[in-house]
Amino acid sequence: MASRDRVRFNIGGQLFETTSTTLANAGRESMLGALLDESWNPGQPEYFIDRNPACFSTLLDLLRTGALHIPSNVPEKLLYREALYYGLLDHVRGAKWGPFDGNTLRLADSVPGRAPGDGTAIRGAPDGGCCVAHGSVVHVYNWMLEERRPISLDYQQVNDVGYIDANSIVITARERLGKGDGGMAVFSAATGELRHRFRVEHGRQPKSFTAGALSLAGLDDHRIFSSCKGRLNEYGIGVWDHNTGQQVDFFYEHPGCSLGDADKLQWLPSKNCLMVATLFPRTDNCFIGLLDLRDKSIPWCWSDAGITMNLEDKRVLHAIAMEDGHSICVINQYDDLGFIDLRAGNTNSAGTGVRWSSRSKLMNQKAPYEESCYPKLATHNGQLFSCMNDSISVFSGSEHVLTSTLRRSYGGSICDFSIGGDRLFALHNEENVFDVWDSPPCPII
Amino acid sequence: MNSQSQSQSQSQRRKNFKIEAFKHKVELDPKYAERTWKVLEHAIHEIYNNNASRLSFEELYRSAYNMVLHKYGDKLYSGLVATMTAHLNKIAKSVESAQGGLFLEKLNHKWADHNKALQMIRDILMYMDRSYVPTSHKTPVHELGLNLWRDHIIHSPNIQARLQDTLLDLVQRERTGDVINRGLMRNITKMLMDLGSSVYQDDFEKPFLDVSASFYSGESQQFIECCDCGSYLKKAERRLNEEMERVSHYLDAKTEVKITSAVEREMIANHMQRLVHMDNSGLVNMLIDDKYDDLSRMYSLFKRVPEGLSTIRDVMTSYLRERGRVLVTDTERLKDPVEFVQCLLNEKDKHDKIISTAFNNDKTFQNALNSSFEYFINLNNRSPEFISLYLDDKLRKGLKGASEEEVEVVLDKVMMLFRYLQEKDVFEKYYKQHLAKRLLSGKTVSDDAERSMIVKLKTECGYQFTSKLEGMFTDMKTSEDTMLDFYAKQSAELGDGPTLAVQILTTGSWPTQLTAACNLPPEILTVCEKFRTYYLGTHSGRRLTWQTNMGTADIKATFGKGHKHELNVSTYQMCVLMLFNSADGLTYREIEQATEIPALDLKRCLQSLACVKGKNVLRKEPMSKDISEEDVFYFNDKFTSKFVKVKIGTVVAQKESEPEKQETRQRVEEDRKPQIEAAIVRIMKSRRVLDHNSIVAEVTKQLQSRFLPNPVVIKKRIESLIEREFLERDKADRKLYRYLA
Repeated sequence: MASRDRVRFNIGGQLFETTSTTLANAGRESMLGALLDESWNPGQPEYFIDRNPACFSTLLDLLRTGALHIPSNVPEKLLYREALYYGLLDHVRGAKWGPFDGNTLRLADSVPGRAPGDGTAIRGAPDGGCCVAHGSVVHVYNWMLEERRPISLDYQQVNDVGYIDANSIVITARERLGKGDGGMAVFSAATGELRHRFRVEHGRQPKSFTAGALSLAGLDDHRIFSSCKGRLNEYGIGVWDHNTGQQVDFFYEHPGCSLGDADKLQWLPSKNCLMVATLFPRTDNCFIGLLDLRDKSIPWCWSDAGITMNLEDKRVLHAIAMEDGHSICVINQYDDLGFIDLRAGNTNSAGTGVRWSSRSKLMNQKAPYEESCYPKLATHNGQLFSCMNDSISVFSGSEHVLTSTLRRSYGGSICDFSIGGDRLFALHNEENVFDVWDSPPCPII
Repeated sequence: MNSQSQSQSQSQRRKNFKIEAFKHKVELDPKYAERTWKVLEHAIHEIYNNNASRLSFEELYRSAYNMVLHKYGDKLYSGLVATMTAHLNKIAKSVESAQGGLFLEKLNHKWADHNKALQMIRDILMYMDRSYVPTSHKTPVHELGLNLWRDHIIHSPNIQARLQDTLLDLVQRERTGDVINRGLMRNITKMLMDLGSSVYQDDFEKPFLDVSASFYSGESQQFIECCDCGSYLKKAERRLNEEMERVSHYLDAKTEVKITSAVEREMIANHMQRLVHMDNSGLVNMLIDDKYDDLSRMYSLFKRVPEGLSTIRDVMTSYLRERGRVLVTDTERLKDPVEFVQCLLNEKDKHDKIISTAFNNDKTFQNALNSSFEYFINLNNRSPEFISLYLDDKLRKGLKGASEEEVEVVLDKVMMLFRYLQEKDVFEKYYKQHLAKRLLSGKTVSDDAERSMIVKLKTECGYQFTSKLEGMFTDMKTSEDTMLDFYAKQSAELGDGPTLAVQILTTGSWPTQLTAACNLPPEILTVCEKFRTYYLGTHSGRRLTWQTNMGTADIKATFGKGHKHELNVSTYQMCVLMLFNSADGLTYREIEQATEIPALDLKRCLQSLACVKGKNVLRKEPMSKDISEEDVFYFNDKFTSKFVKVKIGTVVAQKESEPEKQETRQRVEEDRKPQIEAAIVRIMKSRRVLDHNSIVAEVTKQLQSRFLPNPVVIKKRIESLIEREFLERDKADRKLYRYLA
């Protein structure tokens, strides 16, 4: 019985012995799975495969233990190529990093940029890849951090990017005067080809527009939202079905709340509302509102109009709705976190509703230096992330205690960061380099 | 030192030096690709010919890998399409040539082979599937294999129609009772599903549904001509189950809804009216004969089609209404109120049981039943009286020996009928009358049952409805206490005269009639006067009036040969009998004069004393059934009875005679007037200004828990209120009324 289970391999001249039980971990949809399948004369004394033995050894180990250990003499890219040959690339990816936890992050890689200057945005893909928007080009990286064919928009400025799925990137772009271009489209992440465009109609007339911030509704909800500015004051929020590309709705801007210029959109499933935040410096006064698309109402909004007089006052520079849907977290130029309660009634009056934490007293007494970027916020699984200057802070628990700081020595301040595919990507301002942080796989003991 | 630094800068320069890619492509052996493809092509042939055992998987996989790696993916892919197509065309020929019944077998066999081959081809080309196919927008190998099979086999002109006919023929044969190879059917339909839901739908499901519909249309036509409703439904149910079973054995689960709805449409929906109204076996007959199984089958089948249940419900409702109408207007039945109500209750029980056993306790059916009862019970305006009489019967004797639970069941059933009544105030009137008689004659079976009934009425209609009824119970209790006290204080004075039991009834709580008291015998009168003094002495400011028409008496009488009997009689009868202590014979006129009992009552009382066999303590001359004013009455010395105690002519509540009925009706109408007026004033007080129709609507709404006011009466009440200056008409709009504070 034991001997029948045993399998011998000759890989590029080196002998390996293993069991069919171990090889079963590769799955039927892999080269090794097919090799041992009964439709192909199995039970041979020895299987010869003309491949690199060192890599095979690593991959066999992965099948045996479920853990990936790459010896120093095996280049990572070579291992990936071999894994692709055996159909084990997904196994390698799954073993490379573990479930995301802001407090166990380690620097996995640093990828240099093509040119200095401020990148617009970085986004993590669901499979661990990412893309970087820079000017009119979006650079796309797969999870092995190999650059794919970049998406070039013919000198239209990219405003925002997002992943619909691991293979589809949606891009919003600025309309250029007199060109009638801009707008929003989906591209293939693998080939960079245009899939389809999202169009906007006003009064049944297709119109060109500038698309700004993006948000996707969620897993089973195929809606995608973007802030839109049309040429004839057609400002507001466009809603499309990302599968079909059809426009399904348009929320026109009400007087007094700016939607077409929004910096941040976020769909809140628990409230069935879209959060829209338009912030300094794009507008002088911050506006944060929840839009109910069903009856085109704004059931809740907040503005700091009337309380910020000069540059030294605390200004809301970024906002994110917390995952429980009870509050909105905001950040100011002193790296203070603040919270606005969503459950309280309409706090339209003079922005008094922010509870600021007093971190600035401990950290940045002075006004921030000039080359800094505006801070950004993100949430993941109950943890809150903020970037300020060249570091990212991780806050945990219901009290949002600072539990970790992620910092790299070069690249300058962080202009954008994103969490996706169980990885955190941070884009630096000066060199356009980006860092990849991930959590190690579960420890053995 | 110097040279060292130079070499350092040199090495740095070397690091920065980049090797440019060759401008011209390094060509592989041009025949390499062709050669490699030949190996793979040969392998595909061998796989299709079941000769795979001589192939080396590793070598083939490597070959395909190399072709993709060296950018010959296009060649590899197009070669695969061409080779596979060639093989499928050969397979198509061989399937076409299969004879008769072997056709499906052959197709199934080849399909299994193709699947196996496809799997192996995919194994070899796995690398192409992973890296070449996604980036060049090609169809993956497995899907490609299925698409080619679809295009070259299933949609081949010589196969497509034949396959469809064969499948439909097999289904048809199974429907007519043949046994078919279900496993084979399952494999073939599974193949169609594997090729995509549109293939299954277009090549099989749609024609299958069409053929089925026409089959069932024909069959149902045939059944309906020769079957009764019950057996038709059985056949329809069986067909429905067969189709569901067919789906579970060899069709796509999604087909179930479609085929069952086709059967439902053809066999049920199209014949619904005819089935329900079928002569001698339709719904009405099933209801009459309590055919629970048939009814239940009809319910579950009709439930499946639109309008099905409402069809049953409508027919049931109109049947119930008609049957109820006949029942409540049947003059024979009206003779016995107890029987009449029992009949209604039986009817309700019967249909309740049908709804619970056959109609799944469907709420809408219960509502239909209730509305039908409400409809016909109110067709007869004596229903309130009869229901009260039924209760009276039950509370007098019907419930003797019944357990508490049984009593509750009866009362609850009666309450249900009560709920259907529109004229609840009429019921109240009768109930009060009947209750009074029960209480005063002490004939009620159980105090608990009486009180339980009051509680039920109270929960149904509120405090106001029963406050007077409860007052009656209080009076009974107070009277008892008063009598005890009277005898305790006065026993010395009273001596051994007749014992008096007085029930003191509060005016207004009881249905008293204003009748003058009769002349009581002097012995009794003395005690009565003593009681009056006692009572007025303890309760100042009250007035006592004797209601001699409501009392009873126990008297001892000695007949000839010393026979002694105890007679239980009414007060009137007692007065009459006492006259015979001093006379042997008296004429009607003498009796009338002596007692001053109203003529009608006196006649009834004499009748029960002289004309009832076995109770005739008086003798009448001449002997006849009726009492005339010339009759003479004698003490019947020869009276005998085997009982010591003899009960004579008790006052039994009966259904009212025609004039009495008129009188009660009159009283009810009188009582309604102030209620309607009160309602109008209440409404106008809050609304201030209202038009006529709205007032009528609101008054009706407010009073409907007690009775349905007549709009004409409401109008009269409004006019009366205007006269008395509670309301006025609006000066500008005559339709509007204003409230005058």
